[in-house]
Amino acid sequence: MLRYSIKRILSIIPLLLVISFLIFMFVHMIPGDPAKMITGPDATKAEVELVREQLGLNKPLLTQYKEYMTGLVKGDLGMSVKNNKTVADTIVPRLKPTIMLTISSMIWATIIGIGIGIVSAIKHGKTLDYIGMIIAISGISIPGFWLGLQLIQKFSVVLGWFPTGGLESWQSYVLPSLTMGAGIMAVLARFTRSSMLETMREGYIRTARAKGLSEKFVVMKHAFRNSLIEIITVAGLQIGGLLSGSVMAETVFSIPGLGRLLVDSINFRDYKVVQALLLFFALEYIVINLVVDLLYGVINPKVRYD
Amino acid sequence: MKLKKRLIFVLLASLLILGLTACGNKDDGKKATDSGDGKLSTASNSDAKSPDNDLVIAIEGSINSLDPANIGDTNSIATTRGMFENLVKFDENQKMVGQLAKSWEISEDSLTYTFKLNEGIKFHDGTDFNAEAVKANYDRVIDKDNELRQRRTFVETKDDGTESFRVESIETPDDYTVVFKLTEPWSPFLNRLSQFCIVSPKAIEEFGNDIMNNPVGTGPFKYVEWEQGSHTKMVKNEDYWGEKPGVDSVTVKEVGEAGSRTAMLQTGEADFVYPMTSDQLAAVEDAEDINILKNDSNIMRFVALNKLIPELSDVRVRQAMNYAIDKEAFVQLMYSGYAKPATSAVPSIIEGYVEQEGYDYDLEKAKELMKEAGYEDGFKLTIWGDNTTQEIKGMTFIKQQLEQIGIEVEVLPMEEATRNDKIYVEKEEAEVNMWYVNWSASDFTMDSSMRALLYSTMIPPTNANSAYFQNEEFDKLLDEGLKTADTEKQNELYAKAQKIVWDEAPWLFLGNDQIIYATKSYLSGVYVAPDGAFNFANAKLAQ
Repeated sequence: MLRYSIKRILSIIPLLLVISFLIFMFVHMIPGDPAKMITGPDATKAEVELVREQLGLNKPLLTQYKEYMTGLVKGDLGMSVKNNKTVADTIVPRLKPTIMLTISSMIWATIIGIGIGIVSAIKHGKTLDYIGMIIAISGISIPGFWLGLQLIQKFSVVLGWFPTGGLESWQSYVLPSLTMGAGIMAVLARFTRSSMLETMREGYIRTARAKGLSEKFVVMKHAFRNSLIEIITVAGLQIGGLLSGSVMAETVFSIPGLGRLLVDSINFRDYKVVQALLLFFALEYIVINLVVDLLYGVINPKVRYD
Repeated sequence: MKLKKRLIFVLLASLLILGLTACGNKDDGKKATDSGDGKLSTASNSDAKSPDNDLVIAIEGSINSLDPANIGDTNSIATTRGMFENLVKFDENQKMVGQLAKSWEISEDSLTYTFKLNEGIKFHDGTDFNAEAVKANYDRVIDKDNELRQRRTFVETKDDGTESFRVESIETPDDYTVVFKLTEPWSPFLNRLSQFCIVSPKAIEEFGNDIMNNPVGTGPFKYVEWEQGSHTKMVKNEDYWGEKPGVDSVTVKEVGEAGSRTAMLQTGEADFVYPMTSDQLAAVEDAEDINILKNDSNIMRFVALNKLIPELSDVRVRQAMNYAIDKEAFVQLMYSGYAKPATSAVPSIIEGYVEQEGYDYDLEKAKELMKEAGYEDGFKLTIWGDNTTQEIKGMTFIKQQLEQIGIEVEVLPMEEATRNDKIYVEKEEAEVNMWYVNWSASDFTMDSSMRALLYSTMIPPTNANSAYFQNEEFDKLLDEGLKTADTEKQNELYAKAQKIVWDEAPWLFLGNDQIIYATKSYLSGVYVAPDGAFNFANAKLAQ
């Protein structure tokens, strides 16, 4: 297990190198010139050229990549061309809102999603199953943008329970996390239900029941536990998507997070910030995948790592 | 049994959908009525009181910088005006008045501008405002190494890298007199100075080009914090030299989503929202504590027609296209009526505007002109524009209108930087057919309203004359206008220039926006200027 973990962690390094190269090239291939964005639409060619030179954008791409990587190794992500601050100083204040939102969305979406899935599976074909699946289908099919605005209208404007946006108190997290988590709750509910139903058709469940074990024990100890590996895999992928895909909730609820920063930076062609954010999201996916893989062994000791 | 379960399923699903849609905005078909005095709807609850004395403004878009010498976007300009002041400014009625300067004189040859400054004014950091401070700002702005956008007010850079200075010298004969000597007459100079904010010389020395994160001016509000993508906060300047601000602090929040801005106004989390989109009006027009206001803007909406395209090089085709556009329908469809059909190449609020005749919606005439030009069977064109819903809607409207006279249009929405990459190219590489765009001259001069878009040398790659309109007589009229200080003569010249553009039709002339904004009834003293810059210097919240 330990050897496997170390091997997996070390394998991240070459993976990140390849990803960083791809990100750098893709970012620089987007049409649009940062120098032009900085100097404004009425700048002369000479003025634009001067800025290009200062930013090092006139050098060959590979030289620029080499310089970027040299900085990266030293922990220097470069300067944002938009706000005269370092990339780290630009990103760090935006981390907390997005991470907090991701965690709060994930907590309720996992608990409720898996809960609905289990109940639906147990009550297969009964009213509770239908109610559960209607909630799940709604969660997937209602556009987040619309849901967010409706929640604001109902719970902020009409009832006055929560603020319309920003992140000033715990109340501020409620509506955006509901908006962000709805889709994940739905995915997890549907996935848990189908996975549980499949497991419950297995021979060993019939054996367990025949042995006279209580239904609760059979469902939780046997069926749910065996479905957990698949559920965790799906949940892991969803967290990854949440962190980078928070643009919608951050826009509707005016939250200064990473999602909006990414969109703003792409619009401004703030290459260094875009690169750093994409690299961060890639790293986060890799780490979550690693954690999920390692969790398999915890859930099911029969899983062997070679 | 199975049927019963299905029935339950369908019933539950319907209930859920009904429940959710019931949460939606109530739109009972009522519409804000225009009283003609700039107010669309007035709150009836005049006893409303502000919960505190802090003004919260919710705006669309972002604040890009707080360095007044290096910004071009309206939101940043408007926000910095809370902290900085200029020698002269436009008042609420678009009249030029003194601010840091108490008076000014322009010599007869239009070459010398002498400003007498107000005395006893201090910057937020305690340093004195005087003639030297003005000079220090001028020196900072024209220094090439600082690469400040405002440099272009004082220095004209050509594509070959050569430069010509508009100001020959700046003198400070005493502490409270500043004299600008121009190299040649340049009529927009005073208007441009209304955007020349005076920064504390001490701050310039201390922070250099990081003024954007450390703004220090003489304005009614002092800087507290700027969190990009979130908000900018200022507090009342207790030592302000003019009338003291009526509010304790101002927070400008960046709220991109129109529905969220409206909700903030409804809950009182914002006291002033701008812009109010026309589709949001129904949600608040009956609210007892909300005023909805409007103002004519200097925004010109048009489609540039690239004259390099063979079909578009024929003036009859361009005129036919203008006859084929129902401008009234455009205004209704795009802005629910809160815009005016264009009647010149410049908006009606610009000094010297002359209403032009022609291009009323007339399909017969349009078809006739197309036939005359030999394009009876039409041809194909592409239209480029932004990839926002609103712009795509506008381009689709143009497509539908032009198809009535046989012109098949392909709509190509593009992200801004990508599109700029394709527009600002060498003449030989120009691919643009039609560009759906808008323009506003922030200095409100006739010259700025036309030069960058229509003057011969302003063709891409450097400038935005993507119609590739080149007309010697028009150029001459603009040049003469620039050198004349006599307003009457200037207006005559610009009247002729407008007529040339209208007749030559390098654009599809579409309309001029109206600005709509909304405030809580307890808020007074705020307004949005025709250029879209909100003004909160005199804001008061009823307590």
